[in-house]
Amino acid sequence: MKRAEYKVPGGKLLAAEVQEKCGALSNVKLVGDFFMHPEEAIMGLEEALTGSPLGEIDERVESFFAEGDIILYGVAPGDFVKVIRLALAS
Amino acid sequence: MTETWRLIDMRIEDAPTQMAIDEAIAMNRLVEDNPNTIRLYRWRPSAVSIGYFQSLEKEVNLETCRELGVDVIRRITGGGAVFHDYDGEITYSLVAPETDPKMPRDILASYQVICGAIIDGLKKLGVDAEFKPINDIAAGGKKISGNAQTRRHGVVLQHGTVLVDSDIPTMFRVLRVSDAKISDKMIKAVEERVTNVRKYLGREVSFREARDALVDGFQKVFDVSLKPGKLTRGEEKTVEKLKAKYMSEEWVHQR
Repeated sequence: MKRAEYKVPGGKLLAAEVQEKCGALSNVKLVGDFFMHPEEAIMGLEEALTGSPLGEIDERVESFFAEGDIILYGVAPGDFVKVIRLALAS
Repeated sequence: MTETWRLIDMRIEDAPTQMAIDEAIAMNRLVEDNPNTIRLYRWRPSAVSIGYFQSLEKEVNLETCRELGVDVIRRITGGGAVFHDYDGEITYSLVAPETDPKMPRDILASYQVICGAIIDGLKKLGVDAEFKPINDIAAGGKKISGNAQTRRHGVVLQHGTVLVDSDIPTMFRVLRVSDAKISDKMIKAVEERVTNVRKYLGREVSFREARDALVDGFQKVFDVSLKPGKLTRGEEKTVEKLKAKYMSEEWVHQR
């Protein structure tokens, strides 16, 4: 399990715990003191990223937030990509 | 005529019960057509609550909590970890429909309005408090209240902490503060970023005095009369069901 933390400037703390297998994310957990409405959407985001080829992370995050009626405070969709990349590089 | 909201006044319960009561009031608000509700409450035993998205192990010193007999619970709301000190902290909660004319539809705007009631109460005590977006209240540049909101079942549920005389050194023994957060704020001692009413005013403040000021704050800001009441039978039943969730390992350890 690889882990990284990222404090969004002027925002909240975000951390990712990831596992990588054969060039894809095999496990993703996103934690922090941010706000997401509805809260349960976090599980959908983690599910959408599980199995994602490393090159598709941006796209998958983007399309997840484009589809759902999800409100974020203290983080932006791009911050999820950033923290996952930091974790992968750790 | 002034609108009347229900006040559930200074109930002392353990962590699973307190969190179950807040959620039960939210779940039943529209179903039972209950009044809007303000709760003021204390946690016995003292407890740490973590935000919905937080990692239990990264945020909480579980061993220290065990040693001190401090409970640990996960909230249904996002945001950060809070130490609910039985001897020094008042928690409030508010439940109102999302469509209530007194409640902004925009979540950030509604934080400001609801926190306005807490700020008004703090000002009555002599604390010059101000709203710090997204969800904090500060006095003299230091955090004195943290707040968290969820929207579900067609209602706004916001709860928050008011540090009256919380034991700040113990707070930072039970909470773990991430390196990323410390370095970002360029602060040596995180303890210096937090205050409480007693410390700010330099005098003792009783729970009674703090409670009275907060009740006044809600009444004034929302232009309502708070009438002491109890949970309905339906709410009590929901509380019993929800307590099992809040006590479960699956819920508390889910992240």
